[in-house]
Amino acid sequence: MLKTTLAGLRAHKLRLLLTSLAIMLGVGFIAGTFVLTDTIEAGFRQKFAAAADKIDVVVLPAEDGGREQQAVGAELLEKVRGVEGVADAQGIVRGTAALIGKDGKAVGDYPTSAVSIPDGRLNRTEITGGAAPKSAAEAVLDENTAKTRGFAVGDRITVLDSKNVKHEFTLVGLFDVGVDQALAYSGAVGFTTDTAMKMSGEKDFREIDVAAAEGVTAETLRASVAAAVGARGEVKTGAKHAEELAAANGADTKMLTLGLLLFGLVAMFVAALVIYNTFNILVAQRTREMALLRCIGATRRQVFGSIVLESAVVGLISSVLGLLTGLGLGAGALAVIGRTGLDVPTDGVALAPRTVAIGMVLGIVVTIAAALLPARAATRVAPIAALRSQVEEQTFRTGVVRVVFAGLFLLAGVGATVLGVTQEPGEAALFTVMGGGALTFLAVLILGPVLVKPLSAFVGWLPGRLFGVPGRLAVDNSQRNPKRSATTTVALTIGVTLMTLISVLTATLRVTYNAKLDEQFPVDYLVASQGDQGALPRALAEDLRTRPELASVVALRAASAKIGGNGEFEVGTFTAAADFTPKADTGSFGDLKPGTVALADYVVKDLKAEVGDTIAVKTTEDGTVRLKVVATFLGENALLPEVTVPEQDFDRYFGPLGDGQIIANVKDGVAEESARKAVEAAAQPYPTAKVASSTEIRGEFDEALDMMLMIITGLLGLAILISLLGIANTLSLSVHERTRESALLRALGLTRPQLRRMLSVEALVLGIIGALVGVALGAVFGWAATTTMTTGVVFQLPIPQILAFVALSGLAGVVAAVLPARRAARASIVGSLASG
Amino acid sequence: MTITGEVGAWNARGNAAPAVVARGLTKVYGQGDAAVHALRGVDVSFETGAFTAIMGPSGSGKSTLMHCLAGLDAVSGGKVHIGDVELTGLNDKQLTLLRRERIGFIFQAFNLLPTLTAEQNIRLPLEISGRKADQDLFDRVVETVGLRDRLGHKPTELSGGQQQRVAVARALISKPQVIFADEPTGNLDSRSGAEVLSFLRTSVRELGQTIVMVTHDPVAASYADRVIFLRDGLLVSELMRPSPQSVLDTLMKLEA
Ligand SMILES: Nc1ncnc2c1ncn2[C@@H]1O[C@H](COP(=O)(O)OP(=O)(O)O)[C@@H](O)[C@H]1O
Ligand SMILES: [Mg+2]
Repeated sequence: MLKTTLAGLRAHKLRLLLTSLAIMLGVGFIAGTFVLTDTIEAGFRQKFAAAADKIDVVVLPAEDGGREQQAVGAELLEKVRGVEGVADAQGIVRGTAALIGKDGKAVGDYPTSAVSIPDGRLNRTEITGGAAPKSAAEAVLDENTAKTRGFAVGDRITVLDSKNVKHEFTLVGLFDVGVDQALAYSGAVGFTTDTAMKMSGEKDFREIDVAAAEGVTAETLRASVAAAVGARGEVKTGAKHAEELAAANGADTKMLTLGLLLFGLVAMFVAALVIYNTFNILVAQRTREMALLRCIGATRRQVFGSIVLESAVVGLISSVLGLLTGLGLGAGALAVIGRTGLDVPTDGVALAPRTVAIGMVLGIVVTIAAALLPARAATRVAPIAALRSQVEEQTFRTGVVRVVFAGLFLLAGVGATVLGVTQEPGEAALFTVMGGGALTFLAVLILGPVLVKPLSAFVGWLPGRLFGVPGRLAVDNSQRNPKRSATTTVALTIGVTLMTLISVLTATLRVTYNAKLDEQFPVDYLVASQGDQGALPRALAEDLRTRPELASVVALRAASAKIGGNGEFEVGTFTAAADFTPKADTGSFGDLKPGTVALADYVVKDLKAEVGDTIAVKTTEDGTVRLKVVATFLGENALLPEVTVPEQDFDRYFGPLGDGQIIANVKDGVAEESARKAVEAAAQPYPTAKVASSTEIRGEFDEALDMMLMIITGLLGLAILISLLGIANTLSLSVHERTRESALLRALGLTRPQLRRMLSVEALVLGIIGALVGVALGAVFGWAATTTMTTGVVFQLPIPQILAFVALSGLAGVVAAVLPARRAARASIVGSLASG
Repeated sequence: MTITGEVGAWNARGNAAPAVVARGLTKVYGQGDAAVHALRGVDVSFETGAFTAIMGPSGSGKSTLMHCLAGLDAVSGGKVHIGDVELTGLNDKQLTLLRRERIGFIFQAFNLLPTLTAEQNIRLPLEISGRKADQDLFDRVVETVGLRDRLGHKPTELSGGQQQRVAVARALISKPQVIFADEPTGNLDSRSGAEVLSFLRTSVRELGQTIVMVTHDPVAASYADRVIFLRDGLLVSELMRPSPQSVLDTLMKLEA
């Protein structure tokens, strides 16, 4: 039996290959995920370890359970320096100090980080050009910032201190931020330790790094330093600290791994469907072969075994190929990420034993599991079938069990979805809808064979008319084996469903976000301070108000304050302007007189205070004040502080703070260009004042959405590719099955192009059916999901995209049919007539 | 080439031009040592409106001859004419169109498309070539083969004999210049076989159809007007107005 199976496999190498491809891609994706994240993790671990090598012991601020930390200050540093066995100890400073770019404005959305570069052996920063700063007049920049902002060693650079006072430095060197993602994101300026403290305004150290004297081990040193520091700091060996940092970083890569694996599992599921279908068709086609085996004495168990064995071999081969593919995918992804300028380690790409084990087990188990049902069907072949001349057409009747099961799943799915949609938006609602989606999908899966016939009649109506006999035959063919067609198309449906879902979500988010921006108040320009709240001098708003290009200018300022026993809230105000009246949800902003307050809806919930109630706000200048609530507003739509008090009151409560944000609207008829110039001119004297226009804000949001859409589409693309392999596989097996039929048609006068067209139309119909079901599911559940996210959702159906999905699915089906169709058309009529 | 135009010499029995002519027909399968000479120079012509049977021992080249005559397979040497068209030298597309317009087929098995009903199967050749069925002819043919009450059935719902009758009706409906039948009764019991054969003979007598039938059954051959005998790829004998006995005698002689 073993020999028969293996001989059969060898005889059908091509078929084997096509089948393997599906599993290979699935395993490849999963293995690739591991290769990618393993490499990144290993790289980080190595870098952390290398950095830790220089340090024997670190002293960190002690965690006292809550968020408040004990300071590690200069005094403690002196104490550590005095400990026996300490060769050197350096305090590490980390704060912010905004670098001023060549345009006179602070660079980036956030101020650059200020870091201390200690000298001596404890310097962990890798100076890649020039030298480390030696004096208070010298500074270094991280390589990336220097490059993007156009600074070179020898230049003069200007940096703002914590009071926004400008200081000039000579740029003496460049450094590599290494594994520190925060520094990589913000950009960093390095100073001597003293200068770093002055510039950043930090009074304390982030940590104290300690080097051991000759002959003192890290552990001994840790003990003696710990004794000296006591409860004021946490003392660890450098090696342990590095390990912990690497582990924390590993948590980030874990998220990446999980996210990617999710897509990998979708791909595997689609692959399983493809395998299931393939084996089902193979069993159907080999009915006579099986029957013959049974005739000559093979038991059911042996027949079952031979199919399972065949699937095991397919699983084994494709898993091995999949692992190799994964290695390539992982290396490719690293190369692509490296290309985007992100600093990721790319050395030592390898398959970990864990990856090999998971890939092999998953590939083999999924393949065998998918082949189990077909194998069972094979055991049902009666020996007598060997004597029948023609393979029977598979007839399909809609069974009661099928309908009942599908009905139950559908009911549960629709029920859960309705429940989720009517629930308050939130995670619970989203999960309910997701559950409903999964149940409904199962119902569709079960009902698939029943749906195929009406759907293909619907989809095939036009091709049947357009392509004459080949078209009509194709539509007939797509319906003749409903189970097969259903499984083939469901594989595609999965990908299209998820694709549609994502595009509905992004389109809805986009429109909703824009609508909210518009509805709230049509802001043309937003001037915000980089970094701290309240850092914009009030003179800036005054200046803006004098500009003739602007219609209205509103300044927003805020401070944080405790309210009752409910923790910190953002308490603030807005300056009045002619055409600026915020919309109240309940109450009225007209009543916002001294001694009153307006609350955002979510604050209302937190404080359980309605209009008419009184709340107690702990101010900095005026003690605790009791304020009457006169209005509530929709917080997420408003730029207003969540707790808004009248303008004069705010100054009394918190003193004359600067503005946090200034919003400005352009006068009608003023050109965009000149308005922008006016706003920028007003902001020019203040380096940290950043100007953004509403179009820019929208643009950024759009870009982020587009990026997300692109990445997810790419990841789902694999599942879709696998389902297309499934279509190609099904078609080529069907072509094989219908060899004599094709020959008959050719004999009766069907030309080769007509025969090819017949198969293309069949694939087209299958592709479009799969897409239609997917689009329907995706749109419905996309809608359901959006209702669970926020209130006031403006549902948007991205019709052009959806039409494109349907058209592309049809086209992809046609492409998948190219090879099978060519083979069918090439076959010699006489040879095909004789076969079978 | 002209393969369109008025099809066949309908009802032109007797001294009209032959429907099919083969001259010096050779067919070699394979190459070198493995070469099989299936036909070694066959000269034969088939009269319009005649029912001719091709007989011979198994492997004598009967099917090969039929395939070459019908343009299903390329010849290795010689010439084949269907009416005034020479097949040798036509490309695949031209051959396909020729088959579509001028030739009908009845195979031993697997004659019908399983997805189509009997009626759809009968009309299929006309549909493929985009011609309209002559409703009178359709009725007459369906009546002749006795399928009136089976038209809506799928092939799997028909008996073997009924399936072959559908195939006969399909071959007749497009009024081809010649019908080639390869062992059309090979899979049938003798009663169904006799039915199919009498339909074939009726269509020759009444519709003036030209039929070339490959068979190894002397009784089937006796329905024909003429029997030609093949052996080892050569035409070796011929019999007019055959009876089962005379066919059997000739076969015995050939195999001796
Ligand atoms: N495709 C083929 N390849 C090689 N040899 C073939 C092929 N088809 C037929 N033959 C050989 O040609 C000869 C004639 O075959 P065929 O015409 O089928 O005979 P018949 O129909 O009289 O039994 C036989 O020897 C057969 O083996
Ligand atoms: Mg034969």
